[in-house]
Amino acid sequence: MSNASGTGNKKNPVGNFFSVLGNGIKDIGVTFVSGDWKTKISYLVMGFGQIMRGQFLRGGMYLAVELLFIWFVTSFGGQYFAKLGTLGIVETTKKNRTTVYGDNSFLILLFGLLTVFFIIFLIVLWYMNIRDNKKQEEILKSGKTLPGNKADFLSLFDSNFDKTLLALPVAGVFAFTVLPIVFMICVAFTNYDATHQAPTKLFTWVGFENFRNLFSFGTGGFGSTFLSVLVWTLIWALLATFIDYFLGIAVAMLINKKGIKFKKFWRTCLVMTIAVPQFVSLLYVSKMFDSAGIINGTLMKLGIIQNAIPFWTDPTLAKITIVVVNIWIGIPYLMLMATGLLMNIPADLYESAKIDGATPWQMFRHITMPYMLFVTGPYLLTSYTGNLNNFNVIYLLTGGGPKSMTYTGGAGGTDLLVTWLYKMTINDTDYKMAAVIGIMVFVVTAVISLVVYQMLPSVKDEEGFQ
Amino acid sequence: MKKKMVSVLLTAAMGASLLAGCGSEQAESVADTAESVAETVTETAEQTAEAVTETSEQTAEATEEITDYGTGEIKVWVADNVVDFTKETIDKWQTENPQYAGYTVTVEAVGEGDAAGNMITDVTAGADIYGFAQDQTARLVAAGALVEVAPENVSAIENDNAQGAVVAATVGDTLYAYPMTADNGYFLYYDKSVVTDPSTLEGILEQCEAAGKNFYMDMTGWYQVAFFFGTGCTLTYDSDSDGNFTGCTMDYDSDKGLVALKEMIDTASSKAYQPGSSAGDAVNYAAIIDGTWDAGVVKDFLGDNYACAKLPTFTGSDGKEYQMSGFNGCKLLGVKPQEDELKLAVCDALALYLTSEQVQLDRYNAVGWGPSNLNAQADDAVKADEALSALSEQFAYTIPQGQYPGDYWTNAEALAGDVTGSLQGASDDDIKAALKSFQETVSALR
Amino acid sequence: MANKQGSMKRNRAISNFFAYLALVIIVIIWLFPFVGLVLGSFRSYDSAVEYGGIVDYVIPKHFSLDNYRFVLSGQTNYIRWYINTVVIAFFVAALQTIIVLCVSYALSRMRFTGRTALMRFWLVLGMFPGFLTMICLYFLLKEMGLTQAGAIPGLILVSVASSGMGYYVCKGYFDTIPKALDEAARIDGASRARVFFTMTIPMSKPIIIYTALVAFMAPWNDYVFASYIAFGHDASYNVAVSMYRWMNTGDYQGYFTRFCAGGVLVAIPVTLLFMFLQKYYVEGVTGGAVKG
Repeated sequence: MSNASGTGNKKNPVGNFFSVLGNGIKDIGVTFVSGDWKTKISYLVMGFGQIMRGQFLRGGMYLAVELLFIWFVTSFGGQYFAKLGTLGIVETTKKNRTTVYGDNSFLILLFGLLTVFFIIFLIVLWYMNIRDNKKQEEILKSGKTLPGNKADFLSLFDSNFDKTLLALPVAGVFAFTVLPIVFMICVAFTNYDATHQAPTKLFTWVGFENFRNLFSFGTGGFGSTFLSVLVWTLIWALLATFIDYFLGIAVAMLINKKGIKFKKFWRTCLVMTIAVPQFVSLLYVSKMFDSAGIINGTLMKLGIIQNAIPFWTDPTLAKITIVVVNIWIGIPYLMLMATGLLMNIPADLYESAKIDGATPWQMFRHITMPYMLFVTGPYLLTSYTGNLNNFNVIYLLTGGGPKSMTYTGGAGGTDLLVTWLYKMTINDTDYKMAAVIGIMVFVVTAVISLVVYQMLPSVKDEEGFQ
Repeated sequence: MKKKMVSVLLTAAMGASLLAGCGSEQAESVADTAESVAETVTETAEQTAEAVTETSEQTAEATEEITDYGTGEIKVWVADNVVDFTKETIDKWQTENPQYAGYTVTVEAVGEGDAAGNMITDVTAGADIYGFAQDQTARLVAAGALVEVAPENVSAIENDNAQGAVVAATVGDTLYAYPMTADNGYFLYYDKSVVTDPSTLEGILEQCEAAGKNFYMDMTGWYQVAFFFGTGCTLTYDSDSDGNFTGCTMDYDSDKGLVALKEMIDTASSKAYQPGSSAGDAVNYAAIIDGTWDAGVVKDFLGDNYACAKLPTFTGSDGKEYQMSGFNGCKLLGVKPQEDELKLAVCDALALYLTSEQVQLDRYNAVGWGPSNLNAQADDAVKADEALSALSEQFAYTIPQGQYPGDYWTNAEALAGDVTGSLQGASDDDIKAALKSFQETVSALR
Repeated sequence: MANKQGSMKRNRAISNFFAYLALVIIVIIWLFPFVGLVLGSFRSYDSAVEYGGIVDYVIPKHFSLDNYRFVLSGQTNYIRWYINTVVIAFFVAALQTIIVLCVSYALSRMRFTGRTALMRFWLVLGMFPGFLTMICLYFLLKEMGLTQAGAIPGLILVSVASSGMGYYVCKGYFDTIPKALDEAARIDGASRARVFFTMTIPMSKPIIIYTALVAFMAPWNDYVFASYIAFGHDASYNVAVSMYRWMNTGDYQGYFTRFCAGGVLVAIPVTLLFMFLQKYYVEGVTGGAVKG
């Protein structure tokens, strides 16, 4: 009955999608043929059937949305939507010395997409409206009565409470996250950059040109720079996650050690790095390591070094310094977390190990570590992906520098993909390549998350540590 | 309509030149401007000789009645330390010129770098008049953030200001901005008690090393040309009047370039050397290559030992002696493209006033920015300024900074990174290879 | 026997000594920048006394309150920036908490079509870097008049609008509240909304405080987006934007000590608040870590 791909493979999400779509279309057709005149008019005037059947609130809402949509498209969105194919053709001109702005490609793309979103939303709502009509007819046919307006309204606080709770958050995410992301994905397929800057200049679709540029290894191509930045990003995230992780656990165990007093005091001191806003503490630390800063100054005064150590200007040293400073930022989180978790480890495990004559190291290796790794597996994964995008530490400490001739696109030795993306947006207004890099960040994050998630012990084996 | 346009232009021009001019030259310059406007009108409108006389008659009439410029808002972006000065100046301008009083002018503190960046990001939300550094002109023009200077003002600006500043405000053949200062260059500040002879780079480094003091010099794009241009290399870009780059002349990949780069590497290897050009961030220095904007900071730091000089000479690896060169640049004031004719006229008049001789001199007295106006430069107070004199001495050896693509600075900064990093102790071949790749990349930039 | 005990005691004493030593070293390293920051804030920027830029010593030669006087006097908009930040932080904390609670409750307690799809979709969205969409958000807000002079509500709107996606920790907490409680109340005739407001929320004090605390602290660090939205409009800056300029722009030479003073003033209330609510923070972090 439904289309071919639908019946095939139940697990195939694409096939599944088509089967749902096919059923939906069939539903629309059948309802139209078998429905009464109220339902039929509802195909054009949404909510008509509901209103005629006494459900003013529900029907009124459908109608209001439809009217709103018509008003939006005719007065605002339509003009942009119509130009979406070209992103505008009217150039900016000069009339004497005044400027007459032409089409604004940016706004055409942005509001064109917004209109597309609205259209999709309306189609979904239209379908829901048809289903609703069908359901109402069925209820009436079976001799029952429809719930009154008041009951309908009150259901928003009971059986339909999820809609009330989620409406605003979901709308917010669509407007301020989904729309901008779709917009930027589109930008990756245009030539929007410093020389095609709205409103003065137009930009347009260029297909996969920018992706080709990203993977071109000739002069001026982004290929080799992208690879080096990517590799450093991956290494950085690995170092930042695991060094902090192990040191954090170590510090937590040190503080929790039997016989150590003032546990709260030690913890509070460490937690300072979380409490004090990073823009204050990291900017201060970056100046501490400056060639003229306190550390170099003191070392030189003590006669330990002759020349200032180039903490931020030597690429290798800058990388090391960043990892070290990140320990300062990162350990306290782990310490807090590990403190709580360490207490959860059943004490009798240690007791019996002690009776068996295990050394502290053996106990750590065979009891503490496996437990921690098992419990914190998902955390490590999110922490790793978080570090891939750890903007603050890099940007506030080095700003991505030091730059080197081996890099194109303004990248520097400590640049992560995100800081590079940021610099492209701010300094070079090279939005097209920034968008491409953004998509690459997504791809990297998604691939790592998927692969690692499958390997996590706590996912593979829920009962593993019982 | 056309008549109205002309009259507006002319009023603006006359009003502006009345303000700009001073003393006996006033009448003359007004006459000049009126003439040049009339000429422009002839050309653009392609009118007959009769029509010209007619027009000038009418415009002469029009000038007497103060045109109503209407009302509106004008936003001005200048660096933080001149905000108060600019506010006062604009107030004065509006009291003296009641025809502009309908406009509300707001002054916001946005530094030159941020201003250019913001204007490029979103022209429509940016300021109507804004200060920026000369290296941004082409970028701003390309982004449509600058409107060309009104034709009737062009010749006066070009004649009254230092040539370097005019070059910096010009893209292709069109003048796009109003020179405001001509102090954007660098020279040597030094500690008299440590550096006794500031004439050679080797001497300075030696004395700093001996005293355990630092020598600060930046090697990034703006500063490294002190070496390259010093040995006779060239690097210029051609641009058309839309701000697009069309070509590049560059000969870094040569013996001259090699001498310069080797000298840079050599300098950076000194234990007294520190990269950096902002006196505020520098410590324990006996010499720093920096600009006039840091004069106060350096004076505070060095106290009685404060001294300024032109850049030193150096003896290259080929045994010859070279004078360090550099860019000379300026701060400019730009007007953004306007959709409203009257507002544009008011913006033009204001920008012209803010860069006039008197205001430039006042600005020097208030915050110490060195004027670009030639008459203001000849002022006694300006001439007595140690830092400015050192700078103008150095300007004899420098090159007016034209337009460079944004990626030039990025690439040059990368080279600077390598000078203190991977090129330290490199062989001649490696250095040559670095120069070659630098030239390849930079000369291909558009 | 006694001897062995003695040696064990000595061993413990030695190992404790080393543990203390390590802790003292760690604490010194950890606190050094903060001590430096505070000391720097007392160094005068008055050139007649001392230099206000970066120096290579920690203890000021002359203690003075010049920097505090500078930031608190009307010479800059510091007080305005500070109020801006407090306003943003307050509203973001309040609204974000409400949204997170709503989303978490719906996802934890209710089963509706598209629930897993929504969660998966949001997970995928979260993998895009936030800075990618900066320019787009800027123009969206500009169309609504929420940039430059309107940047403060604009920033609040953007921070709050997408906060629904950060429901993980809170949902994890709700999942641990037994469903039987809800069911019992529902059998007694309470609506979902009633259960949410009168039962779930009162039981969620720790997670509410955690969510609000984290939301409150974030705006103090927001440099990137805040500077983009304020777009040169000085009165709309927050402390991070304005003070970042003091450190990294050539226009502000010798502002280092003033940055320190401003930084101390920012750090004190935030740090105190954090220390005060630390217990809840630890609970949230630990819970979040285990659930992923």
